[in-house]
Amino acid sequence: MLGFGYLSYWTRFIVEGFIVTLEMTALGLSGGFIIGSLLALGDVYGGKLTRILINTYVEFFRGSPLIIQLLLFYYGIPALTNYRWSAFTAGALALMLNSGAYQKGYLKGAIEAVPKDQLLAAKSLGLSFRQTLAYIVLPQAYRIVIPAWTNEFVSLGKSTAALLIIGVRELTSVGQTISSLTFRPFDTYLAIAVIYFVWIYLSLKLTEYVYDRLKIPGLGESI
Amino acid sequence: MSGEIILEGKGLWKRYGSLDVLKGVDISVRKGETKVIIGPSGSGKSTLLRILGLLEPPTKGEIYFRGENVYAGNLNLNRIRAKIGFVFQEPSLFRHLTALGNVKLGLKHVLKMKDEEAEKKAMEMLRLVHLEEWADHYPAQLSGGQQQRVGIARALAMDPDIILFDEPTASLDIELTWEVIEVMEELARKGITMLVVTHEIPFAKEVADEICFMEEGLIKECAPPEIMLRNPKTPRARSFLKRLLGAYGGI
Amino acid sequence: MISTSDFIFLLRGVPATLSISFIAFIIGFAIGIPLTMVRLYTPRIYASMANAYVKVFLGVPVLVIMLFFYFGLGKYLPPFRSPYMSAIAALGFRSGAYQSQIFKSAMNSVPRDQILAARSLGLTKTQIIRYIILPQAFIVALPGLGSEIALLIKDSAYSFILGVLDITMHADILRRAHKLFLAPYLAGALLYIMMTFPIANYLDRLGSRLKDRYGLR
Repeated sequence: MLGFGYLSYWTRFIVEGFIVTLEMTALGLSGGFIIGSLLALGDVYGGKLTRILINTYVEFFRGSPLIIQLLLFYYGIPALTNYRWSAFTAGALALMLNSGAYQKGYLKGAIEAVPKDQLLAAKSLGLSFRQTLAYIVLPQAYRIVIPAWTNEFVSLGKSTAALLIIGVRELTSVGQTISSLTFRPFDTYLAIAVIYFVWIYLSLKLTEYVYDRLKIPGLGESI
Repeated sequence: MSGEIILEGKGLWKRYGSLDVLKGVDISVRKGETKVIIGPSGSGKSTLLRILGLLEPPTKGEIYFRGENVYAGNLNLNRIRAKIGFVFQEPSLFRHLTALGNVKLGLKHVLKMKDEEAEKKAMEMLRLVHLEEWADHYPAQLSGGQQQRVGIARALAMDPDIILFDEPTASLDIELTWEVIEVMEELARKGITMLVVTHEIPFAKEVADEICFMEEGLIKECAPPEIMLRNPKTPRARSFLKRLLGAYGGI
Repeated sequence: MISTSDFIFLLRGVPATLSISFIAFIIGFAIGIPLTMVRLYTPRIYASMANAYVKVFLGVPVLVIMLFFYFGLGKYLPPFRSPYMSAIAALGFRSGAYQSQIFKSAMNSVPRDQILAARSLGLTKTQIIRYIILPQAFIVALPGLGSEIALLIKDSAYSFILGVLDITMHADILRRAHKLFLAPYLAGALLYIMMTFPIANYLDRLGSRLKDRYGLR
């Protein structure tokens, strides 16, 4: 029989797992944002070698499964460096690097979408290259990137489920435990799916609202 | 002109939101006739043509095709559309088909011709617009003028009772304009019924039976070219033509 | 870095990885096309049901769907008792939603003048969809389909959690059996890249070449 009453016993467990999912998403997105910004700037303005290195990095993280990257960070890196770290640290790091590779693509598109005459105008005012980036290019690029960035949130938020493979206690792995302890996989995974669904769509509504407020009239909205 | 009326609009009214683009237009085109519509941009010429081509319905008013009220009862609109050719302002060839494929499409799928038959007819039409050597080219490989000529061949292939032209040369350079106008003049001389929105005054002067001046959603005046171009009745038509003819250094 | 015999061992996972992604893609295509038609061309009730399908698969991790199919549905429906089938079903159903998104935006990208021109020839709505909109939309959709195949190849790695003997599983076996912690995963990752990169790249290039040839924007 389908029923969710039994889950009330596990509420705290589920909430804790969901909080880990939120933390991991936030860490992955913000870390990926910094990494992605640097990579994007390097790819747009850097020399040939820089660009090759950046694109190799991006191809590695975008071309292989996140789950293998997690295993690599959890088992592989400590074996190589002899420095042991927790599943949480390994997981957060892998997520940041992974998301950074995706965000680089979006940010590069956004930087290139800033019209070239803006750069000339900045030069004519006597702004340095760094000032031009900080005051002219990036503020526009960050607003242009929001729709693509929203997609990255949705995709990364769901990807955090992969963390269960290295034993991080996020929402899906909590579901796995409850399901095996209660012998109720059908109801449990359904409930877990509903939580993800509600979370993702509430957040989307929120970013939509934020985007409407941050939008600059006349600035390209799509990349 | 005394032939059968092919296409007629009565009291055509079109409203987009709160904007009235057509305000009760009456127009008719007889068999074999070439009628030209001129007028400033925003006067509703394109909208009138799209409505007469049954590409969108009027808000109010009736359209008669060979005496039949097309929006009354359950007439098959597609069958009538096939009988009304349409040449668009922007070349709108199907981008994934060759010139030949564009002309063949309607023959095969609307007129249900066999492939060889459709191919033969399509080549014949391309020959009429002097493009048989370009049959295998895709629209992106053709000039704007060539694309418009294929568009004319595509419309002509359906053996329509009338062809509507919506400023077919407006998006073309002057050199390319001529090759399209020449083809249109040939058609007019062959007695094909045409309703043409254009500002190519030499064309109108050469082949039009009547020129209509349209402004603010209404047809203000219709007259044979020798009268309309020399001595239009309405002051607005006079000043519009003065500016337009100025561009041709007078006629 | 990794011995030849270990690498050959990894290669044993390739058939599972490729067959899961390939079959899932076909299922996704078979769902995605009709789903898009329903979303674009049917009355509101049907369209919103189709939209709900897309929304669900967009909003839930594919791993959770896989676990639900295998452990949850497997209890009641025999086909889901196979980890292989459950993985294919989860990836295929989700791919239907993703491919529908790709087709929908590709079909919407066909300019209105193309549709008006077809209508002026007297083509019916069905004929316009079949002879004008779909052929152009397929070309526009090619790069998106390439990324979707790559995504399926990568996400097929989740099937290892259900016990499917794919590339990731073989890499994990090497870690457990041979105490190799770095090399199998690295080699496994490269193996995935060797599959995803050429496919995505090829369809992307084919797409832009055809777009240029046909003058599609």
